[in-house]
Order: sequence, then structure tokens, then C-alpha cells
Amino acid sequence: MTANSAPSISIDGLTLTYPGKTVLDSVSLDIPRGKITVLAGPNGCGKSTLLRAIRRLHRPAAGRVLLEEMDVAALSEKALARQIGLLAQNPSAPEDMTVEELVRLGRYPHQTMLQRWDAQDTRALEAAMAGTGVTGLRDRPLGSLSGGQLQRVWIAMVLAQETEIVCLDEPVNHLDLAHQLDCLDLVRQLNAEFGRTVVLVLHDLNLAARYADQLVFMRDGGVAACGTPDELMTEALIAQVFNVDAMIITDPAYGRPLCLPLRTC
Amino acid sequence: MTVPRVQSARQSFAITIASLTLLLIAAMLVSATVGYRLYGLDQLYQAIFAFDGSETATVLVNLRLPRAILAPMVGAGLGVAGVLVQTLSRNRIASPDTLGLNAGASLAVVLASATLGISSLAGLSLVAALGALLTSMLVFAIAAGAGGISPIRIVLIGVTIAGLGQSVVQLILTSNEAQMQNLMFWLAGSFVDRPMALAINGLPFIAAGGAIAFALVRPLDALQADDATAVSLGVPVSLVRVGCFLAISLLSGAAVAMAGPVSFVGLVVPHAARRLAGLRHGPLMLAAALIGAIYTTLADVLARFVIYPVEAPVGAVTAVVGGLVLVVLLRRRAA
Repeated sequence: MTANSAPSISIDGLTLTYPGKTVLDSVSLDIPRGKITVLAGPNGCGKSTLLRAIRRLHRPAAGRVLLEEMDVAALSEKALARQIGLLAQNPSAPEDMTVEELVRLGRYPHQTMLQRWDAQDTRALEAAMAGTGVTGLRDRPLGSLSGGQLQRVWIAMVLAQETEIVCLDEPVNHLDLAHQLDCLDLVRQLNAEFGRTVVLVLHDLNLAARYADQLVFMRDGGVAACGTPDELMTEALIAQVFNVDAMIITDPAYGRPLCLPLRTC
Repeated sequence: MTVPRVQSARQSFAITIASLTLLLIAAMLVSATVGYRLYGLDQLYQAIFAFDGSETATVLVNLRLPRAILAPMVGAGLGVAGVLVQTLSRNRIASPDTLGLNAGASLAVVLASATLGISSLAGLSLVAALGALLTSMLVFAIAAGAGGISPIRIVLIGVTIAGLGQSVVQLILTSNEAQMQNLMFWLAGSFVDRPMALAINGLPFIAAGGAIAFALVRPLDALQADDATAVSLGVPVSLVRVGCFLAISLLSGAAVAMAGPVSFVGLVVPHAARRLAGLRHGPLMLAAALIGAIYTTLADVLARFVIYPVEAPVGAVTAVVGGLVLVVLLRRRAA
């Protein structure tokens, strides 16, 4: 996407513990600039924790997350929020908040006590709503939206933040099939048209294989494998990481690898 | 296309605020002139600007004027504190009562009266403010000690402390019935016979609490979303919660010192304010301050007539009116 091919984020020996439990065990991983990286793995493998640690929602016990070669631990709250946006898993806001009120929140890190809302904020707000197709919903309360519309609005909020990097934690949870595709197509569009570096946590392997430029399999708090979907979607790796005997076929429509799970192993 | 949109929204909000301000001034004038005896605005003007020591002037300046000034201060403080509590706890049925502040103030007053024999209004109001402040510190310390001041924990601990405080108040009142009779009126909240000094002493606390609240306007907007979202927007969540607690303590502590525990204002006013001003805290808290002030001032006028010629405690009036208003608001929302 850009001439600069250095990774956007470099994770270096990251270890994270909860009392009595190691959640991430010395994870090292590069997030390439301008690409979509998908973190996948069985429940409890640490993929959401890794995503949140990239955004410094957890403090590591050891190791570092380097953003453009700067340790994220050294950045101020707002400076970090201008670089990395995060759409949390199951985010919440008051039901009577309007779409516009929510998307406006994305501008928070760009404002200070003295410098209030300005033309640049209005431009980013309108661009974010237009880019996600929610401009027509701007005065609607969140409680009146469908699940798919609501997810678009949340993505608009993250987009309004105008960060180089966008992290999304299981964004298609609870969405029906049409809205899953709709949401991930929107994410790909953000990546292609706005040049954002995207890090996604996804549960569904076939969706992961379809949208990822770089796919990361995690297991037991570590990176089990990292590469292109074609490299990672092998019967041996799926068995090793997910404990599932599967058949890998080539999806006839898009030519991407497709996993057909057979039985647990 | 967007510019006229924003401007028209701003204009209509400016009109709302101007109307509320006019309404408040009218309510204060009614409060100063209408009661057991009716006075004219000319008499009020004369009493203030050309005090002649007559009985009329004395009643107006010493009895009526203080409550026409105290009531809106208390209402504005409780309205803003109510918005803060509801945002802090992400709970629309929370209020300063939910954090146990009124119960703490009542307990402190009853204890001071039973053990130290404090009975002067100045003494009681100081004790009440201290009680409210100590209670908020206690709730905050327990919540923070239990592993972080999460919204649900704040409400649970606040409700528990409130229940404890009220029970002990009941115990002491029942065991000392005769001596406590004069406290009963205080415990329902009232503006009767409050000297102007209470307003002067309360003003810095209301002003400080209000200043903190308005400095937190934008982080509070973002804190309406979940914690992970607020943090990733760059909100210093813990710091904002500490500031919020401080502002709530100052505002409610000053209110309880001036009037005693006045219930329901902090609960109902934010709901009315949201309907007029939306969910952004700048306009919302401004509207809540004005609506709270109007509400308490009119409730104080109403308190003079509901069981005429005796004065009803204003806390009872705010609770009855507030309860009805809340039922209407909730029914409309459901519809």
C-alpha cells in the first residue's frame, strides 16, 4: 500500500499474566502496514487479549509492543488513541444516544480542553458516516437500529477516530450471515480505500481465510503459525491448533482455501 | 448542508436555555412573594433596595429571600450531581441517594444530635455536609479497594451503605423519640427558616463542584460507552471517575447542608434534561442545573400550600411530584 514496508506494529516477547495464569506467553509478531491481519484460534487461546494488549488495555508482564518503532507504553493516552482505534467486543452505549452522538465520540482524542470541535472534526464525522453508509441514520437512537446497522455505526465511530491502525475484536459476533459479509466487506473497504492497517479477531476460519492478508493461528497463549491463508489452511495445522480433523478444499468462487470440518480429534 | 443543521440545533438549544432561565427567574420571584402572606413585586424591590425595617421588609428579606435563593442553588446542585451519578454508574435509576450520600448525612445529623446534643441549624448543616462527604469517601474507598471503581460496584456499595445508614437512623430515632421530634422535619428536607449565611457558605462548594463537572464534559460523553471503548478513545477513565466522585460529593454535600436530604431531584431532573438537551454533557448539565433549580424552587412554593396553613417538608413534595413526572417520562419512553 505504501512505499514504507516496515511493519506498522512489532510485538516483541510479549508476556501477559492474570493472577495464577499466563495468558500470553512471550508472543512475537509483526503486523504489516496497510494489510488485514486476522487473529484466529480456539477459545481461550489469547487472541482477544493480544488485540487488547496491542492497544495497551492490558499492561504486559514482559516484552513490548512497538508502534512505528516507539514503545506504546511510552505514549500518552490521547497520542495512542490517535494512532490505534479499537472496536471492543460487544461495545455498549445508551439506547437513546443518537447515531451522530456516538460517531462524534471518535473525535475525542483529537480535541483538547481549549481546542473544541472544529471544521476538521466535522469533516471526519461526515466522512466516517458516509464511508459506512449511516449518514441517513444520524438522528436515530441506537436502540432503534438492527444489529447490522448498529455494527456499522460502531465502525463509523472508530473510523472517525482517523487512526492509522484499526483493531476489531470479533466484529461479526451475533450478526447473521448477510450482515457478517456486509461488515467484513466494509472492513476490507476501509483497508483498501482509506489505507488503514487492520487487525481483526475472527472466530470463523473460513471468513478469516477469505479476508486475511496475514493469518495468525494462536494456541495456549502463543503464536502457533503465521502466514498467508494458503500457507496456514492445511489439514495438519488445523488438527494441531484446533483439534479438528478437517478437509481443506479450494472455494470455487474466490479461490481461497475453505475448511470443511469433519470431526474433533 | 451540515452547517445550517448545526446552527439550527444550536439556536433551538439557545432558545431552550433562555426560556428555562426566564422560568427560573419567575419561579424565584414567586417564591419570594407568594406564601402564607402575599406580597407585591414593588414591596420586594423596596425591601431589598430600600430596606426600612418594617415588618413586611423584614419578612421578605429574612424569611422569603433566603429560600428563594437557597432552593435554586440546591436544585441546580442536585440536578448536576444526578447527571454525574447516572453517567458514572451508567444507570438511569441512580441518584446521589443511591451513593448513600443523603443517608450518610442523616446519620451524621442524628448521631450528632443524640450524642453531642448539637441542635443549631448551622451546626447541623455542617455535620450533614461532613456526613455526606465521609459517606462518599467510604463508598469510593470500598469500591476502589474491591478492585476498581466499576459502575455496578459503585451502585451495589452505595445502596448497601444507604440501607445501613437509614437503618441506624431509624434505630436511634425510635429509641429517642421525644428528643428526636425536632429532627424529623430536618430529615425530610426543608427551606424554612434558613438564614442567608447558609447560601453564602454553600456557594463555593456548589461552584467548585459545578466547575469540576463542566471541566469533565467531554470525557463524560465518552464514558457513556463501555470502559474498553472509553479507554481506547483515550479517556483517562480512573481519573475522570475520581473527579466525578469529588464533584458529586461537593454538590450533594452542599445541598444537604442547605436543605437537608431532598429526595428525587437528582433522580428525575436528569431524565427531563435529556429530553430537552440530548446526551452531550455540556448542554445536558446546563439544562439539568436550570431544571433542577426551577423544580426545587416551585416545590418549595407548593410545600407552603399542600397542607395549608402548615408547611410541608419540601422533600416530600419533590418526591411526590418527581415520582409522578418519572412515571409519565417512563411511559412515554416505552410507548
